[in-house]
Amino acid sequence: MRAQIRRASAAVGVLALLGCLVVASGLFDLRERLFGSATPPPKRSAFTRVLDGSTPAAARGRPTVLRSQPWWQEVANLQRRGAATESVDIDGDAIQWRVRARCATGRMRILPGLGGTDCPATTTAYGAGTGRRRLEIAADGPWRLRVEQQVDVPLQEPPLPAMTAPGSRVVARGDLYRIDQSADGAVTLYRLASGRYALRFEHVYVTPNVDLELRLSPLAAPRTTREYRSAPSAYVSRFDITAGSLNFMIPEDLDPRRYRSLVIWCPPVVSAYAAATLDAPS
Amino acid sequence: MTTLAPRRIRVVLPSRRDPRLKLSAVIVTLQVLGQTVLDFKVSIAQILVSIGVCAAIDIVLTLRRDGVLAWPASALLTGNSIGFILRASGTQHGDWWSLHGVHFFVLAAVAAMASKHLVRPAGRHVFNPSNAGLVLVLLVIGPVHVFPQYLWWGPVGVPLGLALAVIALGAAFVLRQVRMMQMALAFLATFAALIAVFALAGRSFVAIWHDGAISGFDYWVYICTSPELFVFVFFMMSDPQTSPRSTSRRMAYGAATAVVAAALLLPQTTEFGVKLALLSGLTVVCGAMAVRRLEWRRASAAAVAVVAAIALVGTVALAGDESLTLIERGLTGRNAQ
Repeated sequence: MRAQIRRASAAVGVLALLGCLVVASGLFDLRERLFGSATPPPKRSAFTRVLDGSTPAAARGRPTVLRSQPWWQEVANLQRRGAATESVDIDGDAIQWRVRARCATGRMRILPGLGGTDCPATTTAYGAGTGRRRLEIAADGPWRLRVEQQVDVPLQEPPLPAMTAPGSRVVARGDLYRIDQSADGAVTLYRLASGRYALRFEHVYVTPNVDLELRLSPLAAPRTTREYRSAPSAYVSRFDITAGSLNFMIPEDLDPRRYRSLVIWCPPVVSAYAAATLDAPS
Repeated sequence: MTTLAPRRIRVVLPSRRDPRLKLSAVIVTLQVLGQTVLDFKVSIAQILVSIGVCAAIDIVLTLRRDGVLAWPASALLTGNSIGFILRASGTQHGDWWSLHGVHFFVLAAVAAMASKHLVRPAGRHVFNPSNAGLVLVLLVIGPVHVFPQYLWWGPVGVPLGLALAVIALGAAFVLRQVRMMQMALAFLATFAALIAVFALAGRSFVAIWHDGAISGFDYWVYICTSPELFVFVFFMMSDPQTSPRSTSRRMAYGAATAVVAAALLLPQTTEFGVKLALLSGLTVVCGAMAVRRLEWRRASAAAVAVVAAIALVGTVALAGDESLTLIERGLTGRNAQ
């Protein structure tokens, strides 16, 4: 009896080890199924910040497991007068959606989500469903609705037409490096034919967070938040999408030639997330 | 040796000449440096749990098998080594009493002691217990939850210098006493030469603590001068219980482990893979050395074969793991390590 128990125990032990072998080998994604994955399921990237009628929501890029800080993508921008029924398509991957409404005179009501309100008014309502949503608008006067969906996929914007137009040239390049958070990707500074400057991020990823900013620093390569803060920097733009390929216009009154690096800055936690030294192209 | 009446259980106390005590002193000193100045992401509680579990299992099983109440010198060392190398993702340096992910340390300790007490063809254990426990947990649980201590211990400075001095002194004391110096040199010379060839061939790897891929001369430097490599060679591979007896065979064992580890390391593109290649190289060689004394109809022989296969197959599979690359590049949106 004792020998039988011993033999059975040994067999169970060997079987357990064989199970370990299957899990360790990565077969059937068993390890991820049992213990979870470091990455979320793949989703397709977005191509544009604004989905107009000619850009179906389904027209997306390659599937990716990278995620951005959730951002708002415009689905519809409607301008009408009086009562109307409108349909909008909310992508299946959207986290939520919202309607930002503005009316000038009388009263307005939008179903679902927004009870009656006296105009003039600007108001916002949120929804959680996806797919085709029907909006019933009851209004006395003119109104404007902007419908946006919140997504967390990377945005793969093509370069701005002005970046590839004659007269445009690359004035600086750099690779993102981490300071307090992870960062990856390349940055290019363009001087456009109009004389304005624009930034393009290629295959960028920065640890997601809200309220990130792009700032230009006179320091060549700040390595710590403290070092970055030791010199005055200039605000460029909000950095609301933290993954993908993105374009940003530099404010007209800002001359980027006076700065040597680009820093991704998080004001709420007073932290320099990442930076890129902007060097003239060789 | 003392005898307790009336059950006649022999009690074996620690001996001051036992090299394992010196080795424990070295590892504890490195643990102290890790907790204070080297930013190790492991808590004192995790280390103590590893040591405690190993010691408890060893005392009970030794008492049951041999009727001896023995000071668990080897088990303490095993637990200490597990605490030294294993990391639970999300543990913060300085959170000394954190029990975060402590179940992984328990699992590694149990697997280590199981490999020592249950996998015993010809009445002798085959694998270095901490090595087997670490390889099993790291490969089965995977990089989402656990990872090995980084190859990079910090910038060149006093803390790193102190750690290297402790490792060097410890190696001088311990390796000479157990006659393993030649084995260590054989490993290091072979391994360094092979890694140099890989570096020249353009191999690279990514690590969470480094921006961009590590290639060229840095590839060789970060792998071959890592304190983690020295700890592995001097204090894990040098276990006399799982090594050959003669000097020449020990040198062959060192060189063979270097070749297998390098072969497993060649396709790796992540630090996790590089570290697992090192650890698994030893597991595979220990398994291969035991082949001649295996009786293939016994379960222990099957266990040896499967453990070695886990090390081999699991490590090779890491080379194509895209999720692991994203973790090492810090692109998963959360601090996986």
